[in-house]
Amino acid sequence: MHQILTAALGSFLASLGFGVLFNIRQKSKLFVAGLIGGVGGFVYELLLVLHASDLAANFMAAIVFTVFAEISARKMKTPVTSFIVCALIPLVPGGTMYDMMIEIITNDPYEALVLFLKTLTVAGVLALGILIVETITSLYYRLKRKWRRG
Amino acid sequence: MEVEQLLNTVMRVGTMLMSSGAEVYRVEDTMNRIAKSFQEVESVQSYVTATGIMLSINVEGKTRTHIARVRNRNVNVDTIDQINQLSRTCVHQHLSTARIEEELDRIANQKRYSFLTTTLFGALGAFGFAIFFKGNWQEMLASFGIGIMIRCAGWCLTSLKVNDFLNNLVCAMVAAWMSVEIHSFVPEANINVMVISSIMLLVPGLAITNAIRDTMSTDYLSGLARGAEAFLCATAIAIGAGVILYIWR
Repeated sequence: MHQILTAALGSFLASLGFGVLFNIRQKSKLFVAGLIGGVGGFVYELLLVLHASDLAANFMAAIVFTVFAEISARKMKTPVTSFIVCALIPLVPGGTMYDMMIEIITNDPYEALVLFLKTLTVAGVLALGILIVETITSLYYRLKRKWRRG
Repeated sequence: MEVEQLLNTVMRVGTMLMSSGAEVYRVEDTMNRIAKSFQEVESVQSYVTATGIMLSINVEGKTRTHIARVRNRNVNVDTIDQINQLSRTCVHQHLSTARIEEELDRIANQKRYSFLTTTLFGALGAFGFAIFFKGNWQEMLASFGIGIMIRCAGWCLTSLKVNDFLNNLVCAMVAAWMSVEIHSFVPEANINVMVISSIMLLVPGLAITNAIRDTMSTDYLSGLARGAEAFLCATAIAIGAGVILYIWR
């Protein structure tokens, strides 16, 4: 539990820091962006503790934080991207990409290829998770509007 | 209504959104909405890529086209947010082009966070990564300090108009060099944790994920462009950090 909460705190701070770098002006939005990042980190670490694979953990984390981002974006009347870009930061495969380039310059192309595929798949599942939630929410709101009109 | 003026204004909206890091579909959608809020406009076609924008507007049976190059790109959520609201007002209240230009001027001249604030929060981000990567407290503090140094180095190089590749390379060198130095004074601090936590400030993880998001929403060209950008950036960082780590080993 301790480990999961530390991960959540770490990703909260990382998302908050990047919220400022990405120029989110209002303090409330900044805080929410950090919290959503924290949720992402929490789910990711929780699944790793439950022995899920790295890909599955990234995928679920993306789904959960996008749901939170969609809800808060509608509540705070702001594009959902503002929250998604910040919450993505802790999960994003930047470290893997860096490891890959290090393997290339230290002359280990095979290990580099493995890491290249890992970078692409992690970025891919994150994007897929976001896409699925965005599609479902827009479908939901379109149906709701239709239903209201009768 | 002056058609040329309308084209220029809608183009400006697109360029501002794109250089603030908005998604391709959002930029196209916003440009179309604003153009269509003018009743004279019969049809609009916008074609947005990560590096350039094309826009055709048909008024009274005549089509006019503009092209704009998009160069500087960073993430500015506030601009995206405000232009989004501006496009909603356009649809509901049919603003004139002069009025839209005025609003765009206001948005473009808005203050960003000061250098001090972004540096502190950037360093806080690096601190957060050190926690996330299960570092000990020495590593956390070191990452905070290295984060400050990276932001300062980056700011100096940007104001000297050094290109992005060299900028990232030098910043990564600074990060790796400081990690090596800190490790020699405080042996408990692991070099890898410090380097990776602080380098997350530079690393193009967001770019690669956005590249795949663009590709999935069928904007293949932008996806490829952003992917190339991300790989070039990762190369710069790895060369910078790699050189220092190689010398040290």
